[in-house]
Amino acid sequence: MTPPHPAYQLRHIQHYYGDKKVLDIQDLTIENGSITGLIGPNGSGKSTLLKILAFALRPTRGQIFYNGRPEVPFSQTIRSKVTLLTQKPYLLKRTVFENIVYGLKIRRDDNDLTNRVKKALLNVGLDYNRFAARKWHELSGGEAQRVAMAARLILKPEILLLDEPITSVDTKSAKLIRQASLNARDNWGTTLVIASHDVQWLGSISDRQLAIFNGTIFATGMENIITGPFEKTGKKTIVKALDDGQRIRLKAPAQELGSAIIRKQNITIGLEQHPDKGLDNQLSGHIVSLMLENKSGHIMATVAIHDLTLITRLSPDQISRFNLYPGKSVMLGFHSTDVEWI
Amino acid sequence: MDFIVAGFIKAIELLISGDISTWTAVWATLKVSTCSMLMSIGAGLPCGFVLGFFEFKGKKHLRTLVDTLLALPTVFVGLAVYAVISRQGPLGELGLLFTLTGIAIGQTILAFPIVTAITASTIENIDYDLKLTLVSLGAGKRHIIATCLWEVRYGILAAAVTAYGRVLTEVGISMMVGGNIKYHTRTVTTAIALETNKGLFADGIALGLVLITIAFIVNLSLSFLRKQ
Repeated sequence: MTPPHPAYQLRHIQHYYGDKKVLDIQDLTIENGSITGLIGPNGSGKSTLLKILAFALRPTRGQIFYNGRPEVPFSQTIRSKVTLLTQKPYLLKRTVFENIVYGLKIRRDDNDLTNRVKKALLNVGLDYNRFAARKWHELSGGEAQRVAMAARLILKPEILLLDEPITSVDTKSAKLIRQASLNARDNWGTTLVIASHDVQWLGSISDRQLAIFNGTIFATGMENIITGPFEKTGKKTIVKALDDGQRIRLKAPAQELGSAIIRKQNITIGLEQHPDKGLDNQLSGHIVSLMLENKSGHIMATVAIHDLTLITRLSPDQISRFNLYPGKSVMLGFHSTDVEWI
Repeated sequence: MDFIVAGFIKAIELLISGDISTWTAVWATLKVSTCSMLMSIGAGLPCGFVLGFFEFKGKKHLRTLVDTLLALPTVFVGLAVYAVISRQGPLGELGLLFTLTGIAIGQTILAFPIVTAITASTIENIDYDLKLTLVSLGAGKRHIIATCLWEVRYGILAAAVTAYGRVLTEVGISMMVGGNIKYHTRTVTTAIALETNKGLFADGIALGLVLITIAFIVNLSLSFLRKQ
């Protein structure tokens, strides 16, 4: 028996806005029924990737396979299966009810609309009697976001793509959106891809996290990005000087300077200077936050080195051995050769 | 100053008494303006949509041309239409000169760039997220176009009202193409010009008041529609 195809396979996808390359993904697979989190700073390419996954944007190069079949943007068959909730959800200048049934109406699916709208609204924590007749301008930001979410959920999509769904909503709305997303996966087997800045919220919902920076995907989740300016101290080494006098030494790239990636697995933590003299980066800082990784049980420690924050992945054993807690002073170490340039 | 006040008083008397020459001019104006507005919307709305929604070669030049036509002088349109529909003109056989239909054709030409330009601007200003939202909800091209037009309905209404205001108040086309024939092609504006020339200010002011009232009713209807 052949294994089922993944929901998405992206091959050699590149996208440009003018001359600027905003996305460069060699190979990305998203399994059916999974929840994938996308983390990355503004302008890193998250929204572009989601639009490509929604088949609402044609990539400049590369191919997308949907359930094993090559697909092109805007095809009628694919549009009815994939839906995207944009960062600033646009509500049509109509009532909440009409907004929610819009997708059904264009599919000519008019069956039992009232009950289906009731369920969709309930799914995002809104009461039908209070909200169905309201107009688009009579909703708060969080309510509008949840109505937009309900308009997607009522379609029972195969793929639900959420772009920063909790950016402008309160904690209650964030919880409801999380629960509605999980329900969609559990009830209909919906595959979700969610972009968010909120690492903690994303960690609580996603099966795996992908980090995206300058259009490049890191399958290992959030990694440490060090941006310039850099000082050249020789042919082989460059330095990033921090305002508190500490210096980060990095092996110079073969080509032009970009941004440096230090994988979190390559960073060690301790309470004092590491005895290994070969460890040419030893930086003092303090722990800002500790966050549990849902599936692995590991703990992500965020450490502030003056105005730079670095993440390292620790075992529960290391946490208890060093008695780590937010605010505690620590030493981070990594080799200057453990750098990748993008 | 006294003649202006007296004019206002006589204006009210003329309107209340149902003066036939006043009311035939009002009726001719309403008929011809409404007809030309509807025709200009019929032609200008699709053109404005294409100009605002799609990207194509030469779009900027076309947009500049349409914007330039906004300043089209009414006498020039009148002259051009006169040349085309007069006996020696290519459409002379249709007998449109000195008819309300002739005026309506001229006014449609005048209003067309207004409807096109305002519709194009309205469509261009559509929130990018609207198109993306519609695509992501599964809408095809037909639904996207219909929904976008519905979303900007107030902008399109504004285009219609602006065009109506322009054709309602123009004199050049009505005078040149219509000929200002009493009880036939005399409109409110040509009547005002004539009565003022004759020194009959009261009649002129009465007709002016009618024009203002029509404009007021049109705008009132627009605000009512917006509230709905």
